[in-house]
Amino acid sequence: MGTKPVLVVHGGAWAIPDDLAERSILGVKNAVTNGFAVLEMGGSSMKAVEVAVQTLEDDTVFDAGHGAVLNADGYVELDAIIMNGKTLAAGAVSCIKNISNPVTFACSVLEKTPHVMLTGTGANQFAEKLGIPQVPVEELVTEHAKAEWEQYRKYKHTVKSLFNTELVHDTVGAVAIDYEGNVACATSTGGITNKMVGRVGDTPLIGSGGYADNLVGAVSATGHGESIMKVTLARLILFHMEQGKTPEEAANSALHYMEKRVHGRGGVIVVSRTGEWTARFTTKRMAWASIKEGVLLYGLNTGETIQEIINPPK
Amino acid sequence: MEGLGDMKPVIVVHGGAGRIFKDREEGSRSGVTRAALKGYNILKQGGSALDAVEEAVTLMEDDPHFNAGCGSVLNEKGEVEMDAIIMDGKNLASGAVSAVKCIANPIKLARLVMEKTEHMLLTDHGAQLFAKAKGVPEIPGEKLITERSRERWSKNLEADSNPQEFKKDPGTVGAVAIDSEGNVACATSTGGLTNKLVGRVGDSACIGCGGYADNHIGATSTTGHGESMMKVVLARLILYHMEQGMSPEEAADTALDYMKTRVNGLGGVIVVSNSGDWAARFSTKQMSWASVKDDQLQCGIYTGEIQTRSVAEALGSK
Repeated sequence: MGTKPVLVVHGGAWAIPDDLAERSILGVKNAVTNGFAVLEMGGSSMKAVEVAVQTLEDDTVFDAGHGAVLNADGYVELDAIIMNGKTLAAGAVSCIKNISNPVTFACSVLEKTPHVMLTGTGANQFAEKLGIPQVPVEELVTEHAKAEWEQYRKYKHTVKSLFNTELVHDTVGAVAIDYEGNVACATSTGGITNKMVGRVGDTPLIGSGGYADNLVGAVSATGHGESIMKVTLARLILFHMEQGKTPEEAANSALHYMEKRVHGRGGVIVVSRTGEWTARFTTKRMAWASIKEGVLLYGLNTGETIQEIINPPK
Repeated sequence: MEGLGDMKPVIVVHGGAGRIFKDREEGSRSGVTRAALKGYNILKQGGSALDAVEEAVTLMEDDPHFNAGCGSVLNEKGEVEMDAIIMDGKNLASGAVSAVKCIANPIKLARLVMEKTEHMLLTDHGAQLFAKAKGVPEIPGEKLITERSRERWSKNLEADSNPQEFKKDPGTVGAVAIDSEGNVACATSTGGLTNKLVGRVGDSACIGCGGYADNHIGATSTTGHGESMMKVVLARLILYHMEQGMSPEEAADTALDYMKTRVNGLGGVIVVSNSGDWAARFSTKQMSWASVKDDQLQCGIYTGEIQTRSVAEALGSK
């Protein structure tokens, strides 16, 4: 029990409008509190990131699970990944329908199959075999997502124009280190509004939407999926840390590279194997929260860090 | 020869790392040789690395000797589901498809995803819809199934089958190239693992795992145990080692060795650097590969085996 546990969560990097700001902050604080409770009781970082991401998926303010956006045909298609830094084992699902907690399903892929990723109908059939309940689409879709979809249909915005205005919800995620020094990451998303049917973004791709390795640390990424994939953002950050950079330096230099090389913006949360952590983004806003040593920190705007003492030191 | 720059073009292809049965050796050898010559011919005429890798992989998809396109292994339900990726090292653009059925050339569909959508990976039903919209002909799934892959599939369903055995079957075909302009590209295509779960996606469709290409460094295409390659993000890892100053051969060996010790996985890779150095390395018993550089054709299947001929000689003997 050498390491002090740390949990960091994010609720997506994009131009979060003011009317969603307060609920986003509440959402990430809630998720980090739930996940950290697992770590505090001696639970694993894998369980902690799963619980944190479940909380975010269940919160309709975020584009994942309940609250996910609609694709071009008006359906919800979800992607998720979870990764164990001790063994490099990972589980991922892409393009699944009607499942309220994709991250938990990703966990089942890791634990119950010899594979890393399942997709589409095959994934849904496997979920059925496991007895994971399928929920009606209406249950995952909020009025907001529906209105947004209709708006985009009407004006035929291209996906590109959406990115340019940064009006893109994207992704929730968590990274953690537990008392045993094991790191883990989890990422989950409903993707881009009005995306093509079958589009898979960075989230379920190992090394892009997330990566965890006990020898270095763990990362969860959010932002313009295609740009994140082009630079395999999560793995890139850990490469930088292997070269001796701090999580903050590594995150900044990888995000800067992504902007310069492929003109993409995003955000990341990182924890190192020694428990150093960071939350960085090049979008207008990213809701994030962390807990370490009884202190909860959170933020939304660039450079903003607000502190709350949750456990007064004994 | 329009667009011909100063760089000497190079192409390297592989037909999968794993166990190649004696009676399949000759077919595999001539398959990779034909693919390498085809790609090299495109490069020699001033064609792009992207076109060269696409054409080389298309040829191997059409060749029933390889686990890609026609000749793909079957999933648990006895169907062919294929993954493919193509990547342009110039702008890091990439296109990929996963779990697609009933098309002859997944690599061509991957290229369409790259060039005709704002996305990079389309999967399953959605990929199928996209193929239809682009006029890619749908073929009966049966056409992709060989007698041999059906036999192996039913053998694996038997109660006494050894699931570890089919992990050794060669997976995947791939190509990497550098063109006369100095642009690098990679392409990878596969039918995946025998008796895999329906919807299983391996490394081939995942950027950084099944392939990666970056003009600043080089390009690589991987083959072997998909899940292991995903865990170490093998293609990107090799290029990372090259960024740190290793040669393609050192980088490939270091990464394959790491994959073996860390996650107990075997595989093979082909690599070309942005200066035209290349390597074909594997930790499995065999990998069929071929390369052409300076009008010299090389190929091999066993560790340490390199057969060299001139391109003229190879074309003459065809």
